[in-house]
Amino acid sequence: MSETTRSGNLVQASLPVQGMTCAACVAKVEKTLKSIAGVQEVHVNLLSGKAAVAYASDQTGVPQMVKAIQDVGYEVPEEEILLTVRGMTCAACVAKVEKAVKGLPGVTSVVVNLPAEFAKVKFYPGAVDKTRIKKEINALGYEASEKVTGQEALDREKEARQKELRYQTRNMWIAWPLASLVMIGMFRDYWILPYIVPKFLGNVYLLWALTTPIAFIPGWQFFKHSWNGLKRGATDMNLLYATGIGAAYIIATINTFWPDAGFGGRGATFFESAALLTAFIVLGRFLEALTRGRTSESIRKLMSLQAKTARVIRKGQEMEIAADEVEIGDIVVVRPGESIPVDGEVTEGYSVVDEAMITGESMPVEKRLGSQVTGATLNKNGSFKFRAIRVGSETALAQIIKMVEDAQASKAPIQKLADFVAGHFIAGVHVLALIVFVFWFFIGYASFFSPASRFVLSPYSLAQVGVFGFSLLLSVTTLIISCPCALGLATPSAIMAGTGKGAENGILFKGADSVEASSKLNAVVFDKTGTLTKGEPSVTDIYVTAGFARSDVLKLAAIAEKSSEHPLGEAIVRGAKEEGLSIEDTDDFEAIPGKGVRAGYQGQTILLGNRRLMQHQNINIGNLDEKMEQLEGEGKTAMLMAIDGKAAGIIAVADTLKENAKVAVERLHQMGVQVAMITGDNRRTAEAIARQVGIKTVLAEVLPQDKAAEVKKLQEKGLKVAMVGDGINDAPALAQAHVGIAIGSGTDVAKETGDIILIKDDIRDVVGAIEIGRATMRKIKQNLVWAFVYNLTGIPLAAGILYPFTGLLVSPELASFFMAMSSLSVTMNTLLLKSYQPSFRREQGKSGRHPSPRPQPAR
Amino acid sequence: MNELEAKAARQASVVYTTVSLAITLLFLVITLFDGNTYTAVARIGGMIWVFILSMIVSMPIVIPVVKKKIMG
Repeated sequence: MSETTRSGNLVQASLPVQGMTCAACVAKVEKTLKSIAGVQEVHVNLLSGKAAVAYASDQTGVPQMVKAIQDVGYEVPEEEILLTVRGMTCAACVAKVEKAVKGLPGVTSVVVNLPAEFAKVKFYPGAVDKTRIKKEINALGYEASEKVTGQEALDREKEARQKELRYQTRNMWIAWPLASLVMIGMFRDYWILPYIVPKFLGNVYLLWALTTPIAFIPGWQFFKHSWNGLKRGATDMNLLYATGIGAAYIIATINTFWPDAGFGGRGATFFESAALLTAFIVLGRFLEALTRGRTSESIRKLMSLQAKTARVIRKGQEMEIAADEVEIGDIVVVRPGESIPVDGEVTEGYSVVDEAMITGESMPVEKRLGSQVTGATLNKNGSFKFRAIRVGSETALAQIIKMVEDAQASKAPIQKLADFVAGHFIAGVHVLALIVFVFWFFIGYASFFSPASRFVLSPYSLAQVGVFGFSLLLSVTTLIISCPCALGLATPSAIMAGTGKGAENGILFKGADSVEASSKLNAVVFDKTGTLTKGEPSVTDIYVTAGFARSDVLKLAAIAEKSSEHPLGEAIVRGAKEEGLSIEDTDDFEAIPGKGVRAGYQGQTILLGNRRLMQHQNINIGNLDEKMEQLEGEGKTAMLMAIDGKAAGIIAVADTLKENAKVAVERLHQMGVQVAMITGDNRRTAEAIARQVGIKTVLAEVLPQDKAAEVKKLQEKGLKVAMVGDGINDAPALAQAHVGIAIGSGTDVAKETGDIILIKDDIRDVVGAIEIGRATMRKIKQNLVWAFVYNLTGIPLAAGILYPFTGLLVSPELASFFMAMSSLSVTMNTLLLKSYQPSFRREQGKSGRHPSPRPQPAR
Repeated sequence: MNELEAKAARQASVVYTTVSLAITLLFLVITLFDGNTYTAVARIGGMIWVFILSMIVSMPIVIPVVKKKIMG
């Protein structure tokens, strides 16, 4: 710990201070800190940028000092540490760790994720350090270590999971066979058991001998963890188990060895309660160990895709090295069927690459000279060489993993309720257990007890139980049934599954709040250029007059424009090339500013341009003007063409819609989402595009800096708005929207702004993001409802609410069985998300689209 | 555990033990005067259980309060 005790409550902290440039700054910071009540001594060092403060901890604290420093214009930088925390089992453990770490002076925030088993802690270095934080968590009985990434993380996680599984399997092997013998022994006088169960199995001393190892070997973990927490003022569900098992075992022991002590005697030994209670709790732990982490399998799958080795050419020699030793600039050789080790650019060769694991796109992509390749993708059938341009933590895969992990480390707003309840639950349940005990001790037993009382689903009679044993049983059962395990797992497990499902489909959620916000969206605003449209013009229409052939007109137009550098000319040349036309050189060429071009080719004179060009050259365009107006009305740029003084036709060029834009907008409408388009283009062009795609609300002629204001206007109407843009010039609007969606960022994930990043350039992923968000939130709500219903119904039943009417009680072992089933059911329900697919992916699946048939053009 | 933490732990233990004993004493008083007859075992067993639960409830409430007061 960085703090050192001086005397009494005086402690010392060394706070880093940024922004000090001279002695005056030092004096200012010292004066400010000294003015805080409780601060005894301050030494600020300009060179080291640190303020050593001695203060009375009962009068002030680190937050007050940091605020004072910030108020006078300096910064106290925070540090962040990611820790893997093993051994947490429920929401109360989360609350316990958060409470303990937050209690350390200098810690500003703690977020603990139960299913992912990690904690993100922000703190002021100098006030507290990493070792102190880890020590605090370890002291609670958990294992905290700094989080590692990549393969090492994968190996460690696997090792820890196997260790926990081995431990709980050993416990199961001890608890269940012994508990079964105890149960048979306890019930040997019932049904047909006297005929088949030997008498000695019913001997109380033998039953005690069988129950003792169950309580103290598999059950020891609960006593140990609860005591570690309790002595630091933190409680968790281990305490519920420990008090439950401990009480049942002590009563059984007293009634065995001192039957006349008044606890119900030999007829109320309840060995099966202590034994089965422990066995069921251990079963719950075993199932948790088995299923935990399954929800984050997609990330694990991504991690495991990382190639372990790479074949590089160094000093002219091809050699195999570890993938993490590849350096930027290395030439990497990839053979058929191999995984690509790092990101790079193809320098030689041709192949098709399956990128589904990164982009979710099922079609393989062609790779040739100049194409970008991404690490972890799979080379199909060709060989090629590429130059490494991103390695280690800079690769797309590493960025994606980091982003998904960060999202999983965050908390959705809906989780706050569950955290609050779980955090206060354990103390609340013990208060309730006390009330239940006091009620049945002083009032209930005398008023309602009947010697015919029985446990639910048990032939066991409670006839001999006295007031203390009866009240204690109900009190213990209440403790056992109240465990908030299901409540703790409900939200984070679904968030992990949802963000993992997104990553599988090339949709990266930056936080749990993005998942929740995307589920609530009812309006989506698309940027036009580059988002709904391809962002570059292409030939859309070719209209020819009598006597001219379409291909001739396009070919001659391309020849005329070959020397032009105008984007419209480039679009015509591209269009001709796509149709396989040969484009030869012109004999002469002249660009006529503001009008068009004139070119000579094999004795022909070609004119291509606007009306003014034709007027200037005295060309009669006849009825072409009408057609031109029609095309312009559709938002296209139409160019007139004349060959040897005769009007030959019109070539129209426009920015065209992306392949799936129309279906995506249709689907959004079906989902009840309002769709708008925003653009800086003129209204006529904008409306033409909007008509094609089926959007009615058009926000045209909006300057980039005003896009955020337009989004705000929609929000003021009460809409939950998503802005979809290319992530760079739309940044203010993306930030203003409830959810900013950056589309088509390819593999350069880290540069993107926005709450959701779509790796592919496919508009349908906007729909996918909303669908995954909604599916995840549905799952969270189902889990929370189930968890609350379980606790709200279980607790009154365990407390004996039905006993006065039915004479039946819930036994402690049945309570522990219900408890184990509640967390299992929440986990299983969440795992159903693994089979969920966004609608377009489902449709692709139905139409039998598979990765192999037709590669996409190279990117 | 440094000296401050030890001091906080000591002070807290005095507070939560006193609170728990007070609740236990209240339980005992009720058993003596509520008109029912209880065996000594029921009375003592009840007191132990009430004391354990009272400690469990009061410890997580008292410890952070005292710790905050002493350690800041």
